[in-house]
Amino acid sequence: MEEQLKIDFEKLLENSNFSKKNVELKRKNFDNFIKKGFPNRREENWKFSDLNQIISKNIKNLSFYNDLSKPNKIDQSIFIDGLEHNKLVFVNGKIEKIEFDYEEKNKIEILDDLVLEKFNDVNNSLLFLNNAFVSNYFKLTVKKNYALQKPLIIYNITNKDLVSKNVNLKVDIMLEENSSLKLIEFSNDKSTTNFININYNFDLQKNSILKNYKIDNNSNSNIKYYFNNISQDTNSVSEIFLLSSGSEFIKNEINCNLNGIYASAFVNGVFMLNETKHHEIKTNINHLVENTKSYQLIKSVLDDTSKAVYQGKIFVDSKAQKTDGYQLSKAILLNDNTEFNAKPELEIYADDVKCSHGSSSGSLNEESIFYLMSRGLNYKEAKKLLINGFLLDVVEKITDSEIKNLIKNIMSLKQ
Amino acid sequence: MLKIKNLKADIENKSILNNFNLEIKPGEVHAIMGPNGSGKSTLSNILSGKKGYDVSGEILFENKNLFELETEERAHKGIFLAFQYPLEIPGVNTNIFLKTSLNAIRKARGEKQLDAIEFLKLVKLKAKDLKFDEEKLNRQLNVGFSGGEKKKNEILQMSILNPKLSILDETDSGLDIDALKIVADGVNSLRKKDNSFLIITHYQRLLDYIKPDYVHVLMNGKIIKSGGPELALELENKGYENFN
Repeated sequence: MEEQLKIDFEKLLENSNFSKKNVELKRKNFDNFIKKGFPNRREENWKFSDLNQIISKNIKNLSFYNDLSKPNKIDQSIFIDGLEHNKLVFVNGKIEKIEFDYEEKNKIEILDDLVLEKFNDVNNSLLFLNNAFVSNYFKLTVKKNYALQKPLIIYNITNKDLVSKNVNLKVDIMLEENSSLKLIEFSNDKSTTNFININYNFDLQKNSILKNYKIDNNSNSNIKYYFNNISQDTNSVSEIFLLSSGSEFIKNEINCNLNGIYASAFVNGVFMLNETKHHEIKTNINHLVENTKSYQLIKSVLDDTSKAVYQGKIFVDSKAQKTDGYQLSKAILLNDNTEFNAKPELEIYADDVKCSHGSSSGSLNEESIFYLMSRGLNYKEAKKLLINGFLLDVVEKITDSEIKNLIKNIMSLKQ
Repeated sequence: MLKIKNLKADIENKSILNNFNLEIKPGEVHAIMGPNGSGKSTLSNILSGKKGYDVSGEILFENKNLFELETEERAHKGIFLAFQYPLEIPGVNTNIFLKTSLNAIRKARGEKQLDAIEFLKLVKLKAKDLKFDEEKLNRQLNVGFSGGEKKKNEILQMSILNPKLSILDETDSGLDIDALKIVADGVNSLRKKDNSFLIITHYQRLLDYIKPDYVHVLMNGKIIKSGGPELALELENKGYENFN
């Protein structure tokens, strides 16, 4: 694979006109990736999901160079109906549409051709890979005191032309003081066995509100890694909801730094997995100043031989008195061959804090099924009602009612 | 309507019911009384089709062999079990559950399914009769309900589904006198010439409000004595231990 990486990296440099400084930065990232390689289970963070093995098992002849010169067709039929929204469309990793028709143009700033400015020495080989191979990246700034009129949907589309490729995407979102954004990330994959590596950076300034809903619902054979980095200033709110269901493998990593007092972060997620799917959510919520709050609720329904992992970490700095941190995960295993791994971690250096965690897993309650069947529902209907009821309370946490309804529809939870 | 012949039921090689016989005709109310562990709940579970028992003998419901029917098919045919311990079902709205249940049964019977408005009208009426707080119908099924509310909810379901044979498994346990009266009124209002009841209870108390046609004493898995309502009083005076 190293051979292929080198060939493809040179190809990328050859076919792009990066500045000299930029090439240097890219090379540094590239060298770091070559040194570390894909993460494997020897790293604590990856002990339940050995990405190196998963990639070599699922992807034959992975290659890293994508020719982004030719435009791709957008399959309009996948656009979400019945919800007015702004659009940012990626097809096979290339930006194909930027449409902010509902917004005041001087209240937002859009840059779609950013290049790396500085070297970021994070201990994450996949970020090195991303920084080495990503060509341009996208940045949206929402200006002070502006709330986007309509949600923004980022469509992440891959089509049949994409096979056994590594795609790297980078999106930066900056919310200035008192601004707000509702962001839905909607994946639709018709491609096969690619490794998609996405990096989101959110910068939430004072009193800003981010609502971020990530929906991966259609079945596909891709392997995906998301690194979401969130930095929050005073009194800002981030609300994240993950529907993790469609792809063969996803690891969603959320690193959230609560840097300003009264900042709060909510991470709610649902795993609905079947077949051989293997998904993970890994959070690091860092309470760095006093009076910050975090809340995490993850529910899983696992069938066939699927596997879900939730590693939730709450870190409380010695300065972060009056922290309120909460996390809970629950799983229903529909089958003896499924697996749910939870690793809650609390690392607390302050003494006046309120932190709790809990995790449970088990099969569907047969008594409850009998109760529902005695009221005329067949086994399948009873099971579905119980599962929907189990998942519903996570979806109910979504604070935007329009988007909540959309997600209920997508999950067939409408009652 | 219901004929049970030589019913034998074992669970994990332990005999629970043995040589159990009972016949209930349309319109009749039968009470089965017995001490703890006599097999009362097993009987109601088996009639509703709960899995996990080794059974032999015969149960006919309107001349159909019940052992050939799944739990939900029995409900479609008109058998209803009011649970001793109604289950809490998180995330499932009570109204929606009731509607789903009613329409599943109506569909199986080839009847028209009720739309939301027709259903709400029906459920409002029934809830009022039972003095059941309507607001609770918008909550998750039985979640956070008191013991009495759960039992009332069972009777509400019964009155909405209008079954032919209702089995009340210790519905009176955990009810205060006022709730007991309301529940009994609910049952009495459903008494018609075609609807039958099987009331399973420890105590004679409930039978002050719901007058049974027959009382049976169940001990060690079989009926040891049958009679009229007076048998319940006799039992109450003597206690189970001295009854034989």
